[in-house]
Amino acid sequence: MPARQAESQPLQSILGARIRQRRRELGLSQAELARRVGISASYLNLIEWNKRQIAGTRLRHIAEALDLELGELDGAAERRLLETLTEVGHLPELAALGLEDERIGELIGRFPGWARGLAAVARSQQEATARAQMLSDRLSNDPFLGETVHRMLTRIAAIRSAAEILTEYPDVPADRRERFHLIVHEESRALSDVGEALAAYLDKAEAPTRTLTPVDEVEALFDARGHHFAEIEAAAAPLTGLLVEPQPVSRHAKARTLAETQLGDTIDELIAAQPEIETAAAGARARRALADYAVGAILMPLARFVDLARASRYDLEALAAGFAVDVAAVCRRLTNLPRAPETPRFGYLRANAAGTIIEMLGLEGLAIPRYAAACPLWVLYRAQQSPEAVIRQRALFPSGARFVFVARARNTGPTGFGKPRHYLTDMITMSEADAQRTVYAADAAVPVEEVGPSCRLCPRRSCPHRVDDPLTA
Amino acid sequence: MAKRVLIAEDEPNIVESLTFLLERAGFDVTVETDGKQALRAALEGLPDVLVLDVMLPELDGYEILRRLRADPKASGLPVLILTAKGQREDRETALDSGADLFITKPFANAEVVAAVEKLAAGGRA
Repeated sequence: MPARQAESQPLQSILGARIRQRRRELGLSQAELARRVGISASYLNLIEWNKRQIAGTRLRHIAEALDLELGELDGAAERRLLETLTEVGHLPELAALGLEDERIGELIGRFPGWARGLAAVARSQQEATARAQMLSDRLSNDPFLGETVHRMLTRIAAIRSAAEILTEYPDVPADRRERFHLIVHEESRALSDVGEALAAYLDKAEAPTRTLTPVDEVEALFDARGHHFAEIEAAAAPLTGLLVEPQPVSRHAKARTLAETQLGDTIDELIAAQPEIETAAAGARARRALADYAVGAILMPLARFVDLARASRYDLEALAAGFAVDVAAVCRRLTNLPRAPETPRFGYLRANAAGTIIEMLGLEGLAIPRYAAACPLWVLYRAQQSPEAVIRQRALFPSGARFVFVARARNTGPTGFGKPRHYLTDMITMSEADAQRTVYAADAAVPVEEVGPSCRLCPRRSCPHRVDDPLTA
Repeated sequence: MAKRVLIAEDEPNIVESLTFLLERAGFDVTVETDGKQALRAALEGLPDVLVLDVMLPELDGYEILRRLRADPKASGLPVLILTAKGQREDRETALDSGADLFITKPFANAEVVAAVEKLAAGGRA
């Protein structure tokens, strides 16, 4: 079963509501729809009220009877919305309201516009909070601002003191009077220089503010295309032959140059045609994400990558050696495999030493918290204990979903004795069923570890590693 | 005999105003513009009042103050801290380090003169 089917419980609640909603739109009774699909009306009633789970052929028949694509009943967009709203419902400031997780699916199914609106409001609120926090941190800690304020106060002190002397001591001898005039003149010029520097700094500081919403637009684009862009693959393939550099670092740099100089137009055209990308910020972000994609496509051309991936059973290190690239590049590239029944679906996460997730790709079915840290029991956070070693985890989520996580920490700092190491951890994710097709297949002897999404969303109340506010009071 | 004031301040234009003001008020003024020199001058000359800036090259004002207070012969030297860092924690740091008075820049001339006169007369905060 692919990863996206794994977290079936909440999804089912969207399904029931959407079937009900669509049936009513078409003016069909339960009995009539049930007859067309070949099930009993009471069974359909159970499905519509999420008392029975359905999938496969039966779900397809219902979709046909409702004149819908299967994806419209069970879409990635809804899943992301469900994950977002679930997280919103557990924000500490809303905890007292006791918002019902089990009704979110119904909300999305019946009132999709309101559900999207609620998610958008929550995101912009989160964004505003993050900005306020950032600005407040800057005001209190920024060394440039601290120094600038100090210089301004010093200049003002000199001007004020000299000006007071000129006004309050009429008997100052002419030469000294001249001297104090000069001080006022000099210091006020210096003060305006400081003021200009401050204004320029504040203008510049405003620009690179991180927003959260463009992330969603870019994710929506990648989801809509199944993380695979045939036009970039086609344009990238002829460029691979230009890579002659033997070392991963220099190959990567060359591929980046080629992507930027040769594939910029392809990427721009692609973005221009995407309805998902609405804002300029999202456009810039999408351009970066697709350039990263193109780098992978040049380094590891698709046909050869698919062959070698199958032959090595998706072994990260074998693929890295085979293409003379680093493991991170292989991890990213694995998320771009074209969808096929026999192809495992991979997600990718990258975390820094502080545990912050700094990149995520193709993680459908796996709820990655956006507003909180992930579960500390994930192997993602353990990999730095044994750098460069590939470690595997069988992860059991509270929903019953089973994933295999494969992580490896690598030093990104300078190498040499006495130099500090800076580890980043790369982790790929796959459903346990998909893992069977890989070298990371886990047999029954490998222990299953109970993990969660993040403490805030986790119902494992007796977990000794729990740190956040309890979810189920 | 005129009371002696040592000004430890590295901004020449502020030094010029302070010197003028304190001489007008009848003090005998000397000036040091870096921290190490200021500490040595304070310990050797033992002025009646030290006007001390915080952000000094070589040795900052708080460190000078701590070293003075640790020295038996200068532990009672009256010190006025004059600084552009005006936040509450700075005031607390200054007073904890043993400053007698604390004035922030920009200051009113009369306020500084009054503070120095008060310290020179043996008055404390």
